[in-house]
Amino acid sequence: MDTATHMLRTGRRGALFEVNMALRDFRTSITRLGLAWSLASHDVVSRYRGSILGPFWITLSMGLMVAGMGFLYARLFAISLHDFIPFVATGIVFFGVITGIINEGCDTFVHAAGMLSQTSLPMFTFLWRTVLRNLINLAHNFVIIVGVLIYFGYWRTMDLPVAGLGLLLLVVNAAWISMLVAIASARFRDVPQIVISVMQFVFFMTPVFWQPTRLGRAHAILVYNPFYHMLEAVRAPLLGVQPDAHTYSLLALMAIVGWALTFFVFTRTRRRIVHYL
Amino acid sequence: MSHQVSISVSGLSIRFPVYGVDAKSLKKSLARVTVGGTLGSSMTGATEVTALSGLNLELRAGDRLGLIGHNGSGKTTLLRALSGAYEPDEGMIDVHGRIAALLDLGLGIDPSATGYDNIRLRGRIAGLSAKEIEARMDEIAEFTGLGPFLAMPVKTYSAGMQARLAFAAATAVEADVLLMDEWIAVGDSDFQKLAHKRLLNLVERAGILVLASHDTDLLRLYCNKVMRLEGGIASPVTDIRKLEELLAA
Repeated sequence: MDTATHMLRTGRRGALFEVNMALRDFRTSITRLGLAWSLASHDVVSRYRGSILGPFWITLSMGLMVAGMGFLYARLFAISLHDFIPFVATGIVFFGVITGIINEGCDTFVHAAGMLSQTSLPMFTFLWRTVLRNLINLAHNFVIIVGVLIYFGYWRTMDLPVAGLGLLLLVVNAAWISMLVAIASARFRDVPQIVISVMQFVFFMTPVFWQPTRLGRAHAILVYNPFYHMLEAVRAPLLGVQPDAHTYSLLALMAIVGWALTFFVFTRTRRRIVHYL
Repeated sequence: MSHQVSISVSGLSIRFPVYGVDAKSLKKSLARVTVGGTLGSSMTGATEVTALSGLNLELRAGDRLGLIGHNGSGKTTLLRALSGAYEPDEGMIDVHGRIAALLDLGLGIDPSATGYDNIRLRGRIAGLSAKEIEARMDEIAEFTGLGPFLAMPVKTYSAGMQARLAFAAATAVEADVLLMDEWIAVGDSDFQKLAHKRLLNLVERAGILVLASHDTDLLRLYCNKVMRLEGGIASPVTDIRKLEELLAA
């Protein structure tokens, strides 16, 4: 089903035509962002249907995680709570957005098989559904971030516009990875397992709950870890620190190269994705 | 609407790879790459199936086409292609008019959500705004005849009740082209009558109906034209009165 009153589908007509079709899919998905939003909010609501707290289970479980890790690791690492709790809270919440968007990318097309096989909805709509669902989850976790930043006094030094820019860079980069993962997972059943393992590994290798200064300023794990930079672009300004210029140039480069690669893969597989399912 | 409702298909061929369990395994695919190609025509490890080949079809407002053919003859593939889900490998599909496909009862149906929520979801997929859906909700609810059940999760419904819900929600959108597969036969006789009325209404509004079915009585009831598919190859479109000849052929 589609609101469009004219639908034209043709066989292959050369590479340029395929690129145009891929771009058209993207554009249509943007004009119908409202649909992706409806699907995403339906996902969140239906997941917590019938539970007492509803979607605020997201907040509660995240709050527990932050409290547990915050107090325990502050003690283990012998860091003051004032320094550590806001660091961990922002770290876990925003890294959760990265893993959420990427891990759930595995199901983006697999779960949409029914819709994809009888409508002309744009493929990208389902990517936005996954992304928006995770942003809705994030919104529920803002309560924790706001509470922590106020309680520990970071609201005086934080730089919200820069953090907003950082969140944008985070989402733009997580989104293309999610799209690649979505296509690969539709085709190969091993991919979701690989993705989950890799993201788990990344969680421990990235300074989410341990401070990067403990490793020395320019360790390879920090400099070449894109996830560290995605996280840092949001977290640092919230904690009153300017992110490195290196962080921005890396994220911008990654976004450009990543989206180009994603479009290339999507152009090649667009016709086939529905048959993979 | 600037254009008359029409469907124009020319030289349509659809081939699709069937990915077996083996082809879905990354290990086997990687092994294939490192070995440098093994037996089999396709490097992707999938068998290609030609579902439709060289199909031509012209339909205009008021046409109600019945599709007949054995299982696997390409009926559903044609419907999916007309819905825009399957891209042609060759040829062209040109559809003027808003398309509503009722191929799968499950579309947009979330079993744990209520009937009302499912109507909303399906309406959103069909391109209605939240406001438009609310405006039509009463009418749709009445048509389903499910009454208080609409406030209950869909997983508590029987198959017939689900069919009622899906049919009501899908046809509530003012579609010009309705694509349907088999399952319309679900539902009790009351519902069949209601569905019949609604389908005729649709065709009166100068719409097009394409219905795939094995049930010749059903086809006679709804269709005025018929086409037979055989191994992906279509017969010419003929009048429904020649259905017997077509079946015998």
